[in-house]
Amino acid sequence: MNRQHRAATPGIRTSAYIRKCLLSVAALLPCLFFPTGSTAQSPTLLRGISVSARRVGDIGKVESRIDSSALRESVALSLADVLGFNSGLYVKNYGRATLSTVNFRGTSSSHTQVTWNGMRISSPMLGTTDFSMIPSFMVDRAALVHGSSSLGEVGGGIGGLVKLSTGSAVEKEGFSGQYVQGVGLWRTFDEFMRLAWGRGPWRASARVAYSSSRNDFPYTNHDKKDIVYDDDYNIIDSYHPRERNRSGAFKDFHALASASYDSGNSGRWGLDAWYLSTNRELPLLTTDYSEDNKFENRQREQTIRAVASWNRFSSTTSLSARAGYVHTWLAYDYRREMSQTVMSTLTRSRSHVNTFYAHAGWKHYPSPKWQFEASADLHHHSVDSHDYASLRPGNAGDEALRHSRAELSASASAKWRPTRRIGLGALLREEVFGDKAAAPVPALFADAVLWPAANLTAKLSGSRNYRFPTLNDLYTTPGGNPELRPEQGWTYDAGLSASTGQEGAWKFSAGANWFDSRITDWIQWLPSPKGFYVPRNVKQVHAYGVESEAAVAFWLPRGWMLDISANYTWSASMNCGEPVNDGDMSVGKQLPYIPRHSASAVARLSWHGWGLTYKIQFYSERFTMSSNESTLTGHLPAYSLSNAAIEKSLRMAGLDWQAKLAVNNLFNADYQTVLSRPMPGINFEFFLSVSF
Amino acid sequence: MQHSYLSKFLKNTACIAMMALAACALPACSDNDEPEPVIQPTASGLFIVNEGNYGAGNATLSYFSPETNTVAQEVFYRANDARLGDVANSMTIHDKLGWVVVNGSNVVFAIAADTYVEKGRISTGLTSPRWMHFISDEKAYVTQMYDNRIAIVNPKTYSVTGYIDVPGQEASTGSTEMMVQVGKYVYVNCWSYQKTIIRIDTDTDKVDATLEVGVQPKSMVLDRDNNLWVLTDGGGWDGNPVGYEAPSLVKVNTRDFTVAMKLEMNLGDYTPTLAINGTRDRLYWIQNDVYTMPITSTELPATPVIRSNGNYYYGLTIDPERGDIFIADAVDYVQNGRLLRYDSDGASIGTVATGICPHAFCWKK
Repeated sequence: MNRQHRAATPGIRTSAYIRKCLLSVAALLPCLFFPTGSTAQSPTLLRGISVSARRVGDIGKVESRIDSSALRESVALSLADVLGFNSGLYVKNYGRATLSTVNFRGTSSSHTQVTWNGMRISSPMLGTTDFSMIPSFMVDRAALVHGSSSLGEVGGGIGGLVKLSTGSAVEKEGFSGQYVQGVGLWRTFDEFMRLAWGRGPWRASARVAYSSSRNDFPYTNHDKKDIVYDDDYNIIDSYHPRERNRSGAFKDFHALASASYDSGNSGRWGLDAWYLSTNRELPLLTTDYSEDNKFENRQREQTIRAVASWNRFSSTTSLSARAGYVHTWLAYDYRREMSQTVMSTLTRSRSHVNTFYAHAGWKHYPSPKWQFEASADLHHHSVDSHDYASLRPGNAGDEALRHSRAELSASASAKWRPTRRIGLGALLREEVFGDKAAAPVPALFADAVLWPAANLTAKLSGSRNYRFPTLNDLYTTPGGNPELRPEQGWTYDAGLSASTGQEGAWKFSAGANWFDSRITDWIQWLPSPKGFYVPRNVKQVHAYGVESEAAVAFWLPRGWMLDISANYTWSASMNCGEPVNDGDMSVGKQLPYIPRHSASAVARLSWHGWGLTYKIQFYSERFTMSSNESTLTGHLPAYSLSNAAIEKSLRMAGLDWQAKLAVNNLFNADYQTVLSRPMPGINFEFFLSVSF
Repeated sequence: MQHSYLSKFLKNTACIAMMALAACALPACSDNDEPEPVIQPTASGLFIVNEGNYGAGNATLSYFSPETNTVAQEVFYRANDARLGDVANSMTIHDKLGWVVVNGSNVVFAIAADTYVEKGRISTGLTSPRWMHFISDEKAYVTQMYDNRIAIVNPKTYSVTGYIDVPGQEASTGSTEMMVQVGKYVYVNCWSYQKTIIRIDTDTDKVDATLEVGVQPKSMVLDRDNNLWVLTDGGGWDGNPVGYEAPSLVKVNTRDFTVAMKLEMNLGDYTPTLAINGTRDRLYWIQNDVYTMPITSTELPATPVIRSNGNYYYGLTIDPERGDIFIADAVDYVQNGRLLRYDSDGASIGTVATGICPHAFCWKK
């Protein structure tokens, strides 16, 4: 992952500066858009670059871009897997191909906003996104926008923003395609196919991915014991059993189509549509002792999301407009066998979510020193959710959640770069959710190039932020709390970044960023005395720490190349609220499931079509209690997880072939990310890819 | 020359990188906690059943000694090197064995009441088990949720031998809870999405009578005159398909199985638990605060014996010998709770820690 340094290079004449920008961006484009190594460039892109050189650019923005090579590493990877090994974020993973959320900077998963082609795709009911449902092959570009910097794109990202996009604009002329087949343990099959076509101003692509697995991986269950009786029912032996992950099978299907038309002066038109259908069993806890053969614990989802876009650039102004739609059908069933013919239905939940989206954006560059921006985004959500298991015919009050809400978020900003080494920016965002308006959210940004030779740049930012309660928070029945107040807080950032290198020999980049956030009215779902969970404004949280990353690459003699990147985050996330009562030991303690230390690293060695990749991920101890007690059930030990892969690429019969063997959990670590959720040991998957 | 500098730099960097990666890789197998030795219990005391959080598998069992005012935590885990499971609901002691019903894990553990060591388990044929009641050494009932049957078990063989069908209930909303016995009849309150008390003839293992007492009868005790006292929760939330009404304290005459008296509380009152003292002549219950009244009373008391001060108390029990009042406080529900001890007049005696969401109690005599 490379943190993008947005400050302009000082001390260079304009023409040289533009030329250097063109070279830099042109060098970067293949990495971003053509992971297979293609260096094709389209006139469209070059036209865009010539305009961007006149712009002030981003100021003080902390953005980490996920390498496209990481996104294209394996068809079996979800975005949760990619982020776990390529960022300092904490990925809270409930199991293989099971709910995975990400936490920025010690905040909760609902403080992470997620956009796809500009449209928010977080669940309007839960406010979270399941990253295990996003195959990395479906994403062309991914970036992490940290803290205050996310306000330039969306509101409510108190932790930050995960920005995803796909599109066809970068497809080369003519036909191209790729097919990947993966086969792994536990009857895991991954298939991916992509076809693309481009001619003149037209670009189109279509891709499908299908993954299935029995996912019944074996593991030693340290949470329970099997017992052996003698004939008199005395226990004569007990042991931690070697079990299989029960109820973990999944089938995920994704289809994504993109088309674009560049009409020149009239702008560029694009349409992207993404359909997904998943059928996943939800694994049993390690502490489930039932030996019943028949039960069903299953989640199914069908979602169609589409975004139509229009962008027009001129030398001084750019305009953008988008319209989108999302429909999600979500089903959750939990049934257990009572007798040979009767299944008892514990949960039969059905949800329909419809979202309409509209965006308008304007950017103006009156001079190379000034830039003005304004944008407005409107999301309108309609949710209809029922749990039919608890309904009785003829009874009123059966709705679990039926509500709609319009969410308007608008921003205006000004950026000023008086000299090439200094940049200042100010932003104001206003949000209206339903009939409630937030107080205006201001943000200030600054950056300064301290040492041009190494692109050493200092960045500062500070902002207020605001997150409205989700529809579930407010209205679900039972439990919804209409009296909830929005979460709000202040965030400050200060960081340094640098990058240097020698063309064709080596490059190095590094960055570190200190952050400090104070969030009040933190919403937390807690068990209520009435038997169900209820959200409450319970905490004030002080989250602070340091995010850092470094990357180095060497181009060595005889075709060798070594590329290493690493991320490390130290995150203190402290409860600073008032104690619930005099027995509350949580004040001043780290929030549950937030590791103080998280780190990841990726090393890749390549030579003449051969590639060797090693990845490692580390999370420190996580407390499961708000009081941070290290009791047997009160914490999860630190763990590290290593993956490795070896691959060979070659050209044969006019086609590009690649074979890859991936080894996950290389050292067979015995770990849990979440209490009582089993995780797989060492496992293998083989991939064969062909492209033209 | 360039390459020699480069290779030197590369070599050093590679060494550092390998050391760093090795350091990270060493703890690849995460530390596994080893249970510590268990504190031996005193002759009599109180088992505290800590629910834990649903879906987390962090239920625990604590043991409190009233004599020393000390508590031993996670005694099941420490004695058996295994977790108790997900959402422990209740415990009963029969013939020196403690039977711990773990609702979310679909299991009933039998443990030695003195050592906490597991002696057996019932892990087949149960759907979301709740409470266990012994009819004899070889027959017991286990109530269930999401099932319209009560399981009949043989504790000697740790097996389910049959079921008692509960009339008028659908499987998906089925619910049976606490049990008390008068003669050959066992009375069961049906809580979730229900309104009734049922009576089971233990000779036939069949329900022979049903009595409607109010929306969601949550808790039940038997007084010295063999009258049942039932505390309803009123449904808990407006929109509950079974209804929403003011909670009530209901007196049921077991001789003719009729409602003898119904004392209504306020709509929305929080009423999780009803308890009775050792001589079975005084009731205690949580109604936001803690209230008490003699079983001869015909109206609800006006003032509480212990004020909750805004806390939502989660469980209640009375020391059968000393008469002390013990209240379970879940604090914020995601940390260890606490056990608040008061004398029978409501004067505070002390506080000790419990596990997460302390809920049910079981006295060991």
